[in-house]
Amino acid sequence: MNVIELNQITKTFEKNTAVDHLDLQVPKGSIYGFIGPNGSGKTTTIRMIMKIYYPDSGDIKLFNDGQSVNLQDRIGYLPEERGLYKKMKVKELVTFYGELKQVQNPGREADYWLEKFDLTKSANKKVEALSKGMSQKLQFIITIINKPELIILDEPFSGLDPVNAEIIKEVILDLRAKGSTIVFSTHDMGVAEKMCDFIFMIYKGKKVLDGTLESIQKLYGQDTIRIQTEGGMSVLENIQGIERINDFGQMQEIKMNSGADSQKILTEILAKTKVSRFEITAPSLHDIFVRIARPEKTEEHE
Amino acid sequence: MNKIFIIAKREYKAAVRTKAFLVSLILLPIFMGGGLLVFSIMKDNVDIDNKKIVVLDYSKTLGEHLLLTAENWNKSEIYNDKGEQIAPMYFIEIIQPDTVNPFQQKLELSDKIRKKEIYGFVQIGANVLHPIPGDEQSRILYFSENSAIDEVRGWISGTINNKIREIRITELGLAQEKIKDLFSWVNAEGMGLLSVDSKTGQVIDAKKTNEMQTIFVPYVLLLLMFMMIMMSAVPLLNAVMEEKSERVAEVLLGSVTPWQFMMGKVMGSLGVSLTTSAIYITGIIFTLGKMNMTDIVPFDVLPWFFIYMFLNIIMVGSIMAALGATCNDSKDAQAIQFPAMLPIILPLFFMMPVIINPLGKLATGLSLFPLWTPMIMLLRQSTSVTIPAWQPIVGLVGVILFTILSVWAGARIFRSTIILQGKRPKLGTLIKYLIKG
Repeated sequence: MNVIELNQITKTFEKNTAVDHLDLQVPKGSIYGFIGPNGSGKTTTIRMIMKIYYPDSGDIKLFNDGQSVNLQDRIGYLPEERGLYKKMKVKELVTFYGELKQVQNPGREADYWLEKFDLTKSANKKVEALSKGMSQKLQFIITIINKPELIILDEPFSGLDPVNAEIIKEVILDLRAKGSTIVFSTHDMGVAEKMCDFIFMIYKGKKVLDGTLESIQKLYGQDTIRIQTEGGMSVLENIQGIERINDFGQMQEIKMNSGADSQKILTEILAKTKVSRFEITAPSLHDIFVRIARPEKTEEHE
Repeated sequence: MNKIFIIAKREYKAAVRTKAFLVSLILLPIFMGGGLLVFSIMKDNVDIDNKKIVVLDYSKTLGEHLLLTAENWNKSEIYNDKGEQIAPMYFIEIIQPDTVNPFQQKLELSDKIRKKEIYGFVQIGANVLHPIPGDEQSRILYFSENSAIDEVRGWISGTINNKIREIRITELGLAQEKIKDLFSWVNAEGMGLLSVDSKTGQVIDAKKTNEMQTIFVPYVLLLLMFMMIMMSAVPLLNAVMEEKSERVAEVLLGSVTPWQFMMGKVMGSLGVSLTTSAIYITGIIFTLGKMNMTDIVPFDVLPWFFIYMFLNIIMVGSIMAALGATCNDSKDAQAIQFPAMLPIILPLFFMMPVIINPLGKLATGLSLFPLWTPMIMLLRQSTSVTIPAWQPIVGLVGVILFTILSVWAGARIFRSTIILQGKRPKLGTLIKYLIKG
């Protein structure tokens, strides 16, 4: 069963088409990653799923189980830009959102989640007294307090330190294990690669990628070489068959020309320096993202 | 639990738990009663500075009378029983009018007034005893720096005219003692209407009407309604703008619909105004009870007050919340606040004309305009005049319909703009949102 079904949805603001005839199916129990450059239409799509915006055309189906009542109580939504009532006390705020989400015993749930996120000591503090990290954890708690069937997170890891990011990641995976479907947008390609069952890329309002990481990489074939040499970046210059090099300092990622011979490239490099790693592989999600939305391409379109 | 109620409960608690609420609860009656208080203080606070008045007496008789009256006045009217000065002393100086160059003389006297050497001067015409229409010498002219409103003019006018009457009566050859009551004025006392006691069936005699009942009661009710709107509905504009700019709105929209969000805030404000008005009205009734004045409380109008206030807060609150949603920051809110408040303030300007003539066309017309019905109709109902029974009902139906329209329009604009960032939408765009939804 699909939890989300978008059929040809379009949304225009003034003269700008933010989302253009978009289709998407999110299967129940999956983790679906939304990627795309800033302003590509991710947040607008999420807001349409949340019924904050209405599409100009196309239709959106949620849950597809005929139960259209209280959809919001079945969804947890963490927007990209989020604020909290600063004057409220921490537990009071969590309880308030628990009541809004129709949680059976909001006070008890609040205690449970505050303890899980190590915020029990701050329960009676005002929200304005919390650190940024604590506020972000609090925002996450109010999103998932009712253990929703569908959790939509817009940039959930942005600004989080590794420890807090790890806690939130664990809770997300735990909720998925208990049956929740997770949709999140991210600019961190590493997180998307590691966590998502499916990746969906939107660019200039249009869908450009949709599928598992494997299926997406298959589209690009084994056209990438990851290499570590003693000579570094300088020895890779003027070697035939290389289209582009992405230099990471200790390691370089080479995009080969179509039809180029990887063994020939290796021979040429060996003639110049000692090679400690040579791996022929599919492009990373990061590389695919850059190939699709690289600046010169953006300029061309603009 | 209904989500609107949950949001309303939070809004209500957030509002009434603040110090600002307690302060405004105390300040409001001071503000409301302040005008009356200043008036009652100033009423007794008369000018007791002694005043020197120069008289140019062309009549040759009345100036002397003014002098004698002033002397008597200074002896008997200046101090009360406790020996406190309660009135100014008048010192009259009669000078010979300059018939050759009267303007020069009056200019010199004017300069003396400017230098504070004298307070004023009076020119009594030669023919004031038997005035001729249009004749310059049939006039009494009083010159001072504040002649239009100062009390001296009234004193001079009264004193001279009493003497003129006396002289005229003497000229008629009537004995003073016989015409004692010639000028006694019998006032027509204002009375209410007689009614029938619904329990006993007996006729209840009319009560004497007074200014308090006629002006004070409608004034207080109107001002209370106005203040409730200003305290509860108008602040929604800024409150919504703040929640939008601080990104609280979108987080909430993950749990509630824009409609529930807006109505929750409006209902929270309604709760605050119901609490506040209930406290004030109870306080007023209690105070009047202590003063044995509960008969001036319009108990029959109070249910109307609460019905109108209920609808008015929803009506104005929805509009304000929607306008708040269109703003991105406090600058936007400031720019829109005054124009938004204007329709709420305007009925105050019609308060006196409506109280004076509650059955007039102006009062009736204004009271049937739905946005103003809660204030103007209430004002008319709280006067002692019985207004046609159909008018409050028609007014109420209009308010209900207008409230539904405001909530519908407000919700559409609210939903379309609460997340939008960037430039504040223009009127044309808002109309588009209204139509498109």
